[in-house]
Amino acid sequence: MAQRLHFSSSSRPSPSLPTPNSVAASAKSNRLTFNFNFLPHPTTPTRLCFGTTNRRRLTVRPLAAAALPTVASDESVGVPGKKPLLEVRDLKAVIAETGQEILKGVNLVVNEGEVHAIMGKNGSGKSTFSKVLVGHPHYEVTGGSVVFKGKNLLDMEPEDRSLAGLFMSFQSPVEIPGVSNSDFLNMAYNARRRKLGLPELGPIEFYAYLFPKLELVNMKSDFLNRNVNEGFSGGERKRNEILQLAVLEADLSVLDEIDSGLDVDALQDVAKAVNGLLTPKKSVLMVTHYRRLLEFIQPSFVHIMEDGRIIRTGDMNTVSLLEKEGYKAMSTS
Amino acid sequence: MSALACTPVVLRTPTTVKSSFPCQPRPNYRTSVSLAAAPATQIGFSDPFVLQLAETLEDSLSPSPLTSIQNLRDASSESLLSTPWPSRRDEAFRFTDTSLIRQSQILPVTQPPHVGKLAIGSEDTNFSHLFIADGFLTNSIPNASSLPDGVFIGSLLSDSSLGIRDKLSSFISDFQWGDMFWSLNGLGAPDVAVIYVPAGVRVETPIHLKYISVEARESGSKVLPLSNPRVVVVVEDGGEIGIIEEFVSSEGNENKCYWTNSVLEVVIGKGAQVKHSYVQNQSFNSAHIKWTSVKQESTSRYELVEASSGGKLSRHNLHIQQLGPDTETEVSTFHLSAGDQTQDLHSRLIFDHPRAYSRQLHKCIIAHSSGQAVFDGNVRVNRYAQQTDAGQLTRSLLLEPRATVNVKPNLQIIADDVKCSHGAAISDLEEAQLFYMRARGVDLNTARKSLVFSFGKEVVDRLPHSYLRKGVEKQVKEVLERLAAGPTTGHRGRRKRSSRGSASAATRLNKEGGGGGEVGGQFAWPPKLRSFL
Repeated sequence: MAQRLHFSSSSRPSPSLPTPNSVAASAKSNRLTFNFNFLPHPTTPTRLCFGTTNRRRLTVRPLAAAALPTVASDESVGVPGKKPLLEVRDLKAVIAETGQEILKGVNLVVNEGEVHAIMGKNGSGKSTFSKVLVGHPHYEVTGGSVVFKGKNLLDMEPEDRSLAGLFMSFQSPVEIPGVSNSDFLNMAYNARRRKLGLPELGPIEFYAYLFPKLELVNMKSDFLNRNVNEGFSGGERKRNEILQLAVLEADLSVLDEIDSGLDVDALQDVAKAVNGLLTPKKSVLMVTHYRRLLEFIQPSFVHIMEDGRIIRTGDMNTVSLLEKEGYKAMSTS
Repeated sequence: MSALACTPVVLRTPTTVKSSFPCQPRPNYRTSVSLAAAPATQIGFSDPFVLQLAETLEDSLSPSPLTSIQNLRDASSESLLSTPWPSRRDEAFRFTDTSLIRQSQILPVTQPPHVGKLAIGSEDTNFSHLFIADGFLTNSIPNASSLPDGVFIGSLLSDSSLGIRDKLSSFISDFQWGDMFWSLNGLGAPDVAVIYVPAGVRVETPIHLKYISVEARESGSKVLPLSNPRVVVVVEDGGEIGIIEEFVSSEGNENKCYWTNSVLEVVIGKGAQVKHSYVQNQSFNSAHIKWTSVKQESTSRYELVEASSGGKLSRHNLHIQQLGPDTETEVSTFHLSAGDQTQDLHSRLIFDHPRAYSRQLHKCIIAHSSGQAVFDGNVRVNRYAQQTDAGQLTRSLLLEPRATVNVKPNLQIIADDVKCSHGAAISDLEEAQLFYMRARGVDLNTARKSLVFSFGKEVVDRLPHSYLRKGVEKQVKEVLERLAAGPTTGHRGRRKRSSRGSASAATRLNKEGGGGGEVGGQFAWPPKLRSFL
C-alpha cells in the first residue's frame, strides 16, 4: 500500500510565509475529506481512487518514499479546499522550425498557494515547458491542454497570458536598449490595470507604487533610469525579473533557473523577495538544477522531468536522493 | 566598249609575326596610384538643363561687391559648364532619384522674402539666433553684447565684417570634391553668413541657425523655388563653439514644394572644437540638398549629430578632411523615412595624418513601403595616416514590406598600422525584444511603437540641447503616430501555429562591402530572427 498524503507531513515553508490555513487543516487529517467548492473540470483522465465517498476529481498519487520504486503515474495531488491554478494535461510540443518533439506528454497540476519545483537533466525539456507555457514562438504545441484559472491558456496570445496572471522569468533576459526600466514597468503595469478596469497610473504615482517593490528586491532606484537589462550583470538581470514579478503581481510565477549566475547574497535577496510575494492565492513553479534555491524557497512538490515527461513527483527527500545518487536513481526504466 | 570593273581583291595576310623566342623585357614602369588626389575632373559636355539653371541663377543676382564671392561665382560657373546633371549611372547618385528636381521648373528666389515676426519659439532665448530665410540673412548680428570679443556672426557683405574679410578669403577656397549642387550653391548664393571665432575664444552659448523656407509652391505644381544658403564657420586655434542648424518651413508651408540647396563650410583650427547639431524638418514635398565640408587641423575635435525626418528628397553630403594629426571626429546621424521619402547620407572622411580617432554611427528607420534610405560611408585612410582608429556602424530598421535601404560602407585603407572597422545591420525589430515585452503584458502594437522609438533614441539622445531633443522626439512621435495603423505583417503566434517573427518583409537590399565589389544583385532579405534561448 502506497503511502499517501505525503505532503501533509512535509516541512512547509519558512516562517516568513503566512501560514496557509488549508495546509494546517489537511495536516491534521490523515484522510481525504471533501469540500464541494472546487471548480468542475472538463477533463477527467483515469485516476487511482481511494476511499469510499465520491472523489471524481481527487486522487491520491502513490508517492514513493526514498527506497521504494517509483510508480510512473504522473498525476499530482489535489488538496481539499485548494483551487487548481494551472492544469497541464498530456502536453506535447515540438520545436517549430525542425519539428523535433521535446515535450512528450507533460501532466502537472498546480494549485493555489503551492510551490512546485521542476528538476531534470539538461535537455529534458524543463525550460521548453516553461517557454511553452508563456507562448514562445519557437515552439508549437501538438497535443494536450493547458488550463489556467479555468481558461484555455494555449489559445491566448502571450500578452493575454501575462494579463491573465502568468509570469515567467526568463533564463537569459534580453536587453532592450532605448527603453528605460521605469518606462517599461510603467507600460506593463498600466496594461495590467487596463485589463482589470482600473485607471492607469502616471509616472509619479507609479513611482510611489514602485518604490516599496524596489526595497523588496533590494535594488537601488538609480537603476530605473537605465535601459532594460542594458549593461546589467547576470544577477542584476535576474533581480530585474523578480522586480517585474513584484510589480505585476502575477498569480502563477514560472521561474526559469532564477538561481543561475547568482552569488549567495543575491540568491538570498531573490529568495526573500519571492517568499515575500507568496500568498495563499499565488503559486510558484521553479525550474532549477540545484538544491540551494530550494532550501530558501521551500517547495511543496518537486517534479523530476526526463525526456519530455514528468516521471516522478516528490519533495525535498527526493532532492536529497537526487543529490546523492544522481538522475539514474530517478529513472523508472 | 565594255569596261570591266574589277575590284582588286586584296588579300590581307596577317603580318604579325610571332617571334619564337621570349619577348624583350618590357621597361619597368612603376605605376603608382595616388588615391589621395582629387577626383578626375569631368571631361564633360555641357548639359543644357544645367546651363539654363546656371544662367537663371546668374541673372537673378547682381554682381557681388566682394571679390571673394565673385571669384567663387566665377569658379562655380566654370565648373558648371562641364558638369552634367547627375544620373543614375553616376556612382554618387546610383540609388538616389533626383527626378523631383530635374522634372520641375526651378525658380531661384531673388529677393529676400518678407517674413513676419520671427518667433524664436520655445528654445532657449539665450542662444544667439541667426535667421536665414530662403538664403538671405534676415537679422543683423544678434545678441552682440553677449558674445566674447572678436567673435563675429553675420553676413559677409555687412560692413562690420571688414576686419575679418582678409582672413576669410583664404578659407572660401576652391573645394575639389564638390559636385554639381555645390557649384550651384556657389553660383547662386546671394550672401554668405559668417561665424568667426578668434584664437582661444570659447563661445559658451551655441549659435542657432534657423533656415526658413518661405517661397513655396503647391504640391503638384512642378515648380520649385530654389534657395542657396551658404554659411562659413571659421574657428581659429583653440576656439570652441556650438552650432545648431535647423531647417524648417515657414508657417503654412508644411506641405508645399521648394528646394533648399545649402552649403556649410567649417574650418577648425588646431586644438579647436566644434559641436554641430543639424535638424531637418522640411516639408514632405520639398527637396533638401546639403553640403557640409569640414577641415580639421591637428588635435581638433568635430562632433556632428543629425536628425532628418523631412523632405521628399533629402541628401546630406558630408566631407571631412583631416589637415593634421591627432584629430577626433564623431558623427551620429538619424534618418526617418515615414512616407514616400528618400533620406540619403553620403559621407566621406579623409585621413592623411596619423593618430586620428573617428566614430560614425548612422541609424535610419524606414516606416513606409515607398520609403527609401541611402547610406554611402566612405572612409579613406591614406598612406601617412598611421595608427588611425576609425569605426563606422550603420543600422537600419525596415518596418514595412517593399521598404528599401541601400547601404554601402566603404573603407579605403592604404596605411598598414590602423584600426578600422565597419558594420552594417538591416533588420526589422528584434523578435526577442518584442516577445519579452509581450510576455510582460504589453500588447504588440505598443511594443512595436516603443521599440521603433527607442531605436532612434540612441542618436537623438546625443543632441546636446534638451529643447532640440524634445523637438525631434515630438516630431518622430507625430510621424510614427500617423503611421499608427500598424505594420501589415502576418499574424502572430496562435495556439497551434508558430509565429516566425514578422512576416514577408520582402526588402530590396543592396549591400556592398569594402573596396566596392558588388555582392550578388538584389535579393530578398528575410527579417533577422535571433535565437535567444
